[in-house]
Amino acid sequence: MDLLRMLFTRCAALFRRGKLDADLDEELRAHIDLAIHENLLHGMLPKEARTAALRAFGGVTQTRESYREQRSFPLLQQLGRDLRFALRQLRKSPGYSIVVIVTLALGVGANTTVFSVVDAVMLRPLPYAQPQQLVEVNSADANSPVARNVSYPDFFDWREQNHSFEHLVSYNDNSYTLTGTTRAVHLDAEIVSWDLLPMLGIQPELGRGFVAGEEKDGSKVVLISHSLWMSQFGSDSTIVGRAIHLSGDTFTVVGVMPPSFRFPVDKPQNSLWTTLAVDGEALKNRGGHSLAVMGRLRRGVTTAQGDQEMKAIASRLAKQYPDTNTHNNSAKVQLELQAMLGETRTLLLVVLGAVAFVLLIACGNIANLQLTRVRDRQREIAVRCALGAGRGSVIRQLMTESLVLSIAGGLAGSAVAFVSVPGVLALIGTSVPRAANAGVDLTVLAFALAASLLSGLIFGVVPATAASRTDLVKTLQQGGQARLYGHDRLRMAVIVGQVALGVVLTAGAGLLTTSFVKLIHTDEGFNPAHVLTFSFDTPDSAYKDRRPQFYRQYFDQLRALPGVESAAGSMILPMADDDAHISFENPERPVAKGLRPGAELAPVTPGFFQTMQIPLITGRDFTEADNMQSPQVMIVNQAFANTYFPGEDPLGKKLKPGAGNGSKDGPPWRQIVGVVGNVRHSATQREMQPAMYLPSSQLPTWCCLSSVLRTSVDPMSLEPAVRKLVASMDADIPVTDVRTMPDLISLRLAEPRFATVLFGSFAILSLVLTVVGLYGVMAYSVSQRTREIGLRFALGAERGAVLGMILRAAAGLLGTGIAIGIAAALAFGPILSKMLYGTGPRNPAVLLVVCGVMALAGLLAAYIPAARAASVDPMRALRTE
Amino acid sequence: MGENKSDVLQGTLDLMVLKTLEAMGPLHGYGIARRIEQVSGDELSLNQGTIYPALLRLEQRGWIKSEWGTSETNRRAKFYSLSRIGRKKIEEETENWERMAATMARFLAPSN
Repeated sequence: MDLLRMLFTRCAALFRRGKLDADLDEELRAHIDLAIHENLLHGMLPKEARTAALRAFGGVTQTRESYREQRSFPLLQQLGRDLRFALRQLRKSPGYSIVVIVTLALGVGANTTVFSVVDAVMLRPLPYAQPQQLVEVNSADANSPVARNVSYPDFFDWREQNHSFEHLVSYNDNSYTLTGTTRAVHLDAEIVSWDLLPMLGIQPELGRGFVAGEEKDGSKVVLISHSLWMSQFGSDSTIVGRAIHLSGDTFTVVGVMPPSFRFPVDKPQNSLWTTLAVDGEALKNRGGHSLAVMGRLRRGVTTAQGDQEMKAIASRLAKQYPDTNTHNNSAKVQLELQAMLGETRTLLLVVLGAVAFVLLIACGNIANLQLTRVRDRQREIAVRCALGAGRGSVIRQLMTESLVLSIAGGLAGSAVAFVSVPGVLALIGTSVPRAANAGVDLTVLAFALAASLLSGLIFGVVPATAASRTDLVKTLQQGGQARLYGHDRLRMAVIVGQVALGVVLTAGAGLLTTSFVKLIHTDEGFNPAHVLTFSFDTPDSAYKDRRPQFYRQYFDQLRALPGVESAAGSMILPMADDDAHISFENPERPVAKGLRPGAELAPVTPGFFQTMQIPLITGRDFTEADNMQSPQVMIVNQAFANTYFPGEDPLGKKLKPGAGNGSKDGPPWRQIVGVVGNVRHSATQREMQPAMYLPSSQLPTWCCLSSVLRTSVDPMSLEPAVRKLVASMDADIPVTDVRTMPDLISLRLAEPRFATVLFGSFAILSLVLTVVGLYGVMAYSVSQRTREIGLRFALGAERGAVLGMILRAAAGLLGTGIAIGIAAALAFGPILSKMLYGTGPRNPAVLLVVCGVMALAGLLAAYIPAARAASVDPMRALRTE
Repeated sequence: MGENKSDVLQGTLDLMVLKTLEAMGPLHGYGIARRIEQVSGDELSLNQGTIYPALLRLEQRGWIKSEWGTSETNRRAKFYSLSRIGRKKIEEETENWERMAATMARFLAPSN
């Protein structure tokens, strides 16, 4: 009650200051008058009476001051006063203020931009109910850290035997061609277990989710996305229960998902979800690992407990099914978000760390600027101290100035982030899941504010405390030019720290750039120039029995198109984020079924190697004569020959890759008829993997071939002709993913590219800031020493000697900073190792270049003020105060 | 800011003011200061000015009220008097103070 009343009267007092002040003065005057009156009555002389009255009263000013403090909110008013004073000070030196604000804007802007991505990708929870209970479950080999996909029979056993999960759901990618609407469209789809929606805790917008019975063979039901519902079905609410045609099969729509629904999160383009019933034969194949598995942990079960149980189940299954599960004798359970991000998490954290360094360097520059300024303002500060300002109030005033600057810098930084976020997102492309959701929102703005306030604290506290240690008497005596003890050492320390940070950043950028250049220039094993690629489905419903004929006819017509030099097909395209891995049987080295070696697999048409310009090393290419009736053949790559037939001629050897061709006897034995050069399947692949090529005509049940064209004209100019050709053969198969091979490679390189570009920009920014900072410090220290330098000249010093003296001082700072930086770069380099290709994390050449660049840039920054000092006129220098 | 020390002193001064107003009725600042000086003899050397923040504090709490009036010398002056809450509070504060003084006395007494 008391408190409330007090608060109220004090607030009220804020608005009636003038009137209340007048009242107080009147009251105090009355007091003195009354006292004088009484003193006169006691027989004092008028003058005496007045003096005595005032003495008894004590300080009138102090009383007024403490009365005012009691009356209102002294802190608030003080803050207002400090703020007004700070603004006045900053307006007085606009150059200084602008430099600080711009520096801070760059630092805060870069940090805010990176944070907006980190926030969208890593910090925001997954868009499902209680996402912290969602985990990804992978199959694994107890001897290897690699997480693997799961087979259907294993998944069913997991689902049945576990006690840790409320729901366990399999999912894998699929695609369909939707026909029967205006024109055929290619749609990305996901094959999932029936309880996907209960697991995610999400309801369809319309209709219902799947039920358990819809996992049964022959069940064809589908959930469709909101956007598909709008674009293809005109938001027709009678869609539920209607039949639609997907790749020649009839599916019943059971529900429409809400607009925000994404599953999986990193496949925003998915527009269909079907149950695993569509996977047919695969449901029984324990050796076919194509599934991802997500689970919702039961309440109270931890990830570690889930992990333990799944490992036990996997190990039990490995004993039960040694033929298929020997290499899948373990499992790995990790939080869904963590599993989704994988190595990208490290990448983002490294970039965030790098950009934080930039801000630190910026703070260093500002701190040094402020130290300079505080020194120039010593006299002012000394005068204020002499007038009774306490140490606290001097610090408070300087901190207020820093606060004003940091808020202005934060606002400017937010503006920088607004501008740069779209650019960074374009750079990232689709390489980082969820990054596209990034933007400058309230969370991000709060981060910007926090970052700038923290910066203000960092760059403000050092000069403020340094200034408050001002020796009053000395400063005033020496006309405000007293040396601030320890200041120079502080400035030097800041510079050394900046140089060290700059070296670490530049070294990181150097490593990433080296690696990226290596990636761009690696030999892919084929010639990507003038190659066009695209895909289309040949659904079983229409092509099950006539695929080889269709493709032969199609490729003949394709080759006949003007501008096409050669054309071929492959089920797996290099650089298309696609791979198939299959085990094979080698009669010369029999092993237990579960321990059979494996290799990458690609079914191709004749002419594929010629079109891609993959060198044929020995033997022959496939021909049209290789078909179901002829002997079954295969081609291997050099890595395969070296790994499995070292020192032998692989030609003529017979192997049995586990690739069924539709015949009842299972996969046939195949003779190796050729050896081709190695091909890089992914742009960021570290080693050439053994690979097997099979003629697609001998795998007629397999779908589908992508096309590759080598052209004599601009590859993209052939797109219309290609689309027309395919449409003329079957109007219901849309052509998708029309891209040139260089574009495909470029897409694969998005992640290393954005890491390199971001890191590189931060390194350049840090280098510039450091050099500017060093220049500032050297210029200031030279200007402080003008008198001393003049004296040296007067005493006969050579210009060269003076120049050398100043450069030596700078070199000392640079050398110390570089040494610390190199040590740190060597220590922290390994953090980057998973992002580096073709270079180790401690590349001496890179470090050498970085040292050279830093030393040169630094010395240049020091040379300018040094040269100015060396050209000083001794007479004038001696006269300067 | 040495809060503890000034708090004790504040409380003391507050109670002196309240007691003075209780004994003397409405009084201006000078009168209150003089009365406190007289009652305490030479024991308390009070800067008369310090009672004004105390008066304001008490008024903000609602324990005393003030109005402008005319002094014995015909000068306009602000007169303070106890409010209803103030009368009640005197008892409370007196008790507090006595308890405090007794406690202090126990501490200061030679130990036996």
